Amino acid sequence: MALDRSRIGYCLPAFTVTVEPAALAAFAEAIGDPDPACREIAPPTFMKVLEGQDNSSRRIMEALGADLKRILHAEQQFEYVAPIRAGMKVSVARCVADIYDRREGQLEFALIETTFADEEAGVLGRSRQLVLVRNPPRSDEA
Amino acid sequence: MSADLLTAEIGSELARETGDPCRPEDLRRYAEASGDLNPLHLDRDFAHAAGFDDLIVHGMLNMARMGRLLTSRYESAQLSSFTTRFEGVLLVGQPSVLTMQLVARTDAAAEIEILMCTLDGRRIASGRATIRLAV
Repeated sequence: MALDRSRIGYCLPAFTVTVEPAALAAFAEAIGDPDPACREIAPPTFMKVLEGQDNSSRRIMEALGADLKRILHAEQQFEYVAPIRAGMKVSVARCVADIYDRREGQLEFALIETTFADEEAGVLGRSRQLVLVRNPPRSDEA
Repeated sequence: MSADLLTAEIGSELARETGDPCRPEDLRRYAEASGDLNPLHLDRDFAHAAGFDDLIVHGMLNMARMGRLLTSRYESAQLSSFTTRFEGVLLVGQPSVLTMQLVARTDAAAEIEILMCTLDGRRIASGRATIRLAV
């Protein structure tokens, strides 16, 4: 088993990201979105960009002791409470919600939960990222 | 804008489109806009060493294109949830097919399945989205 189970419940210090209109426009363009409305309201997957700021994904993986060469993004969930708009200051809080394994530890999963909030609007949405770690078979470890 | 969700039969196809192949410069642009600079998407030698035939498209770029199909049909503010399971790899230069199907409906919300497949039917990603019907 590679992941540090004592990290279940571990949270990074919350950080704040301003939704820069230029960053939103660049993202909308990069995903081929021709809809200019998306330059005002963030596209559905933009939360992933916000949560990745501050080098936070790498810091969580390091806290878990994950080998970056063995990790895959298995599943991604987003929950939308209120639209994220250009100019908003969004506070981002990320925690390790769960760690579990399958196939006698060959496959390990870490669930990272992130909550996005605005001072005035309150909670804007949530993200749940399921990371898969492919561990070598036990015979390799001997 | 969501009129079809109120009338469509459960199981019916709501949309189908061909996803243009991504070019290496598209992956570079997405990497810079998203901050995901994993070399699997940017460096052919690294992708080869990791066992892939070519650069692989970011899973989140695939999900973003699925999301774009959603928001081309429905208002962003109607979207309640969007989940995607990453099941396969799409390489640069490979076109894809995106489909949306109505799978369930209550008075309050419609449940949509969104699939991304290669042209020969291999599953790249499967998604579920909930669209609010009642405001």
